[in-house]
Amino acid sequence: MSCTKLLTTQAYIDDELDAAAALAAERHIETCAECAALRAEGLAIRKALREQASYHRAPEKLRAAVRQKIGDPVSSPSVAKGGFGALAKPGRSFFAGAGFGAALALAASLLIFVLGAPVRDEMANDVVAAHIRSLIGTHLVDVASNDHHTVKPWFAGHSDVSPPVGDFAKAGFTLVGGRVDYVDGRRAAVTVYRHGAHVMNVFAWKDLGDVKPGTRLRNGYRLLSWEKHGLFFCAVSDTGQSELVRLSQLIQSSDRATE
Amino acid sequence: MDERRRRFEALLLPHLDAAYNLARWLSRSAAEAEDVVQDAMLRALKSFDRFRGGDARPWLLAIVRNCHRTAAKRRASFVSVPIDEEIDGMTGDIPNAFRADTPDPESAATANAERRKLDTVLAALPEEFREVLILRELEEMSYREIAEATGVPMGTVMSRLARARALLKERWLQSEGASS
Ligand SMILES: [Zn+2]
Repeated sequence: MSCTKLLTTQAYIDDELDAAAALAAERHIETCAECAALRAEGLAIRKALREQASYHRAPEKLRAAVRQKIGDPVSSPSVAKGGFGALAKPGRSFFAGAGFGAALALAASLLIFVLGAPVRDEMANDVVAAHIRSLIGTHLVDVASNDHHTVKPWFAGHSDVSPPVGDFAKAGFTLVGGRVDYVDGRRAAVTVYRHGAHVMNVFAWKDLGDVKPGTRLRNGYRLLSWEKHGLFFCAVSDTGQSELVRLSQLIQSSDRATE
Repeated sequence: MDERRRRFEALLLPHLDAAYNLARWLSRSAAEAEDVVQDAMLRALKSFDRFRGGDARPWLLAIVRNCHRTAAKRRASFVSVPIDEEIDGMTGDIPNAFRADTPDPESAATANAERRKLDTVLAALPEEFREVLILRELEEMSYREIAEATGVPMGTVMSRLARARALLKERWLQSEGASS
């Protein structure tokens, strides 16, 4: 027999239910094997598509052609030079090699990770926009240094937030520098790292309100956010999720070391 | 640059990647996707006065989708290309359109193989199912936004999504069985 609440369970995994309905759905899933399986499979498919399926970003020549067609007099070739085209494709090693069964197991173990409702839409859009600006513009860093003894004090003098800064070159994450950027109308302290061909921006704010840690995907860029000691962090890059998680762990452990 | 065009660029250009990704997954061809997106951006500019504000992404994607349909119909009148063919027998033969644009030196060959396998399974799904999965999982759009982009009621979005997931799971398992 098929459960009559399958679409409700689906709406639950798609984050379409209000708090009361979500609670009721959770209770039902606990007692219904069919819905429990549907949830596990839905999350496995989500993880697989977000980690493995290709996200096709607009090629630079299309971007230029569109600008020209809609009559933008500045069909900026400078953007093409240092822009998206120069960046490597996302590495997706995190999930590589996993078939459906493995995906299912992994999704189950990462349930909270996947279901957590992280940074708001506008904020995710703004973080990605700021990340893209930093890649195509000249304003990647205000202070360029691979020495955290230089970058950390610079934040203290130029920002109301002084996030932990480390040089994790041995682990493959080279410190590039820091800058102050505006996201969602707020000043953020941004630490910039490089991992292979990928630039990774780590935004930090204080007093951000009711945002929850978690992951998001926007235009093929991945966001990972977390909270520590009253600071809220959001790392963004076109790397795979495993690289973001690794960097987040390094930053959090360096924070502990300097306390 | 006049004010209208400035507003258009500020609202629409951030969604160019989403437009191209959808066009590319619908047409399954890089060249066609570029034509479709250029066409869609021009149409969007022409009808920009009808845009009611808010998030421009569902609005733009609805136009991309219509442009794709028009282009596909025009093409179908010239050549007959089997669309939505069965996945069986396709696992060892990855269409050129789904090879990575540039080689990724960091990924092992197995990672690429896995990615291509899922891409192949997804590419072979019937268009309405492929589309709803792209919008929901790669664009993280809500049911309401998907309904707006695809021009169907929310109930249809929900049932399509359910069937799309079930079919993807089934074919993914099949492709694993075929390759092991
Ligand atoms: Zn049930």
